Amino acid sequence: MKIEILREKCVGAGNCVELAAKIFGQDEADGKVVLKSAAEIDENPDVRQAAMLCPVGAILIDGKAP
Amino acid sequence: MGRESERLEKWPFARECPVLPPGAYAERRSRCPISQVELWDGSSAWLLTRYADIRAALRDARFSSDSSVPRFPAPNEAIAAARRVQRGFVRLDGEDHNRQRRLLAPYFTVNHVQSLRPLVEEKVNALLDAMETHGGPVDLVECLAEPLPVFLTCALLGLSSDDSPYLLDRVKTWMSADSKAEDATKAANDIIDFFRRVIEIEAANPTGGMVAELIRQHVMEGDISQEELLWMLHLLLVGGFDTAANMISLGTVTLLNHPHELAQMTADPSRVTKVVEELLRFHSVAHFTAGRLAKEDLIVGDQAIHAGEGIVAPLPAANFDPAAFPDPERFNPDRNARTHLAFGFGIHQCLGQPVARLELSIVFAQLFKRFPTLRLAVPESDLAYNNSMIYGLRRLPITW
Repeated sequence: MKIEILREKCVGAGNCVELAAKIFGQDEADGKVVLKSAAEIDENPDVRQAAMLCPVGAILIDGKAP
Repeated sequence: MGRESERLEKWPFARECPVLPPGAYAERRSRCPISQVELWDGSSAWLLTRYADIRAALRDARFSSDSSVPRFPAPNEAIAAARRVQRGFVRLDGEDHNRQRRLLAPYFTVNHVQSLRPLVEEKVNALLDAMETHGGPVDLVECLAEPLPVFLTCALLGLSSDDSPYLLDRVKTWMSADSKAEDATKAANDIIDFFRRVIEIEAANPTGGMVAELIRQHVMEGDISQEELLWMLHLLLVGGFDTAANMISLGTVTLLNHPHELAQMTADPSRVTKVVEELLRFHSVAHFTAGRLAKEDLIVGDQAIHAGEGIVAPLPAANFDPAAFPDPERFNPDRNARTHLAFGFGIHQCLGQPVARLELSIVFAQLFKRFPTLRLAVPESDLAYNNSMIYGLRRLPITW
């Protein structure tokens, strides 16, 4: 699965970090999401749920905000 | 589907059972999931009842959250009036909103909030100590549910905990359905004056902490005005007070009513996370959130909505949609409740949610550990529910 972050949309809710802390981090300076993994990773249900939980759709999985 | 020829039913709907959403949501969801309702002022709005539609609408930037406009859908006259004077960023759209919210985001990161854990644990223990010393019966709302969130807000803002009792008293008077109108208004003004003084003091003699940093890094840089800062602080207090307090009181009753799930949690404290998520879904205390106004023509589900039309997208309706949460009326911590919308969705999703999760997980773990024989001190049918903007209990007499 391909992960893409739209940082300009991120409001720092942190749902992604709670769901998949190995993949998503949070910039302590502005609270915005940081991708800790490669953009292409193996299928990961936690990452899919993290993308779904992003309240603003800042995480795209295979080009779409779930 | 759509507009109905008979007279429209008035929203909000009544609850048949005090701890479940109105049955009318399920009825509409199966018959006509997007339909018109009448509001307090005779205007009409589209009522959404499906999880998928509510989620999509709340994430859709073509809906406005500006509750200061007269046509904005509201549950009653009092709330419409209160929201019209709301000046915090909860009622701003798009980049106007984001600009302000982002200034606060660093104070609510997962790591930063976790660092508050020792402070919250200490405070919860102190409040439970006081309860134990006093002996039952006590009102859990007064002893624990209300003081804790105000203390936390003071801690987050970097205020002295000495300010906490005053702020608690003012917030309670302002929000209480039992207060006389003039007392409530004075209390509301006192809170604004309090934050004004805090800003003045921190601008003159910074003590460190959130307010001082926001003044130095953003007010003085021209990112926000002092007035905007004032309303941000106000929103932080308001956003985190009766929401958390009501979750503590309602959650306690629900756990007492589900002794099996409670026993599982006490036996395995790691379960508290699941319990908290399911309690958030089950109670959905922000039950009159969310109204929105369409800024342009758009489609939700299969319903065309025109610019200027209002929608009501109730969070409890989303959280009790069986398509998202099978057997929704069952309190079941083993379900995956994490996808609930109790904190809303979209750019306005609750900023304080990590704080809420932290305080609720500590409260429920500690309360039942300290008082394993905790029980209601009155018949459950005597409990008085508060059907205001945030649903909850006015008093919760408990003993042990």
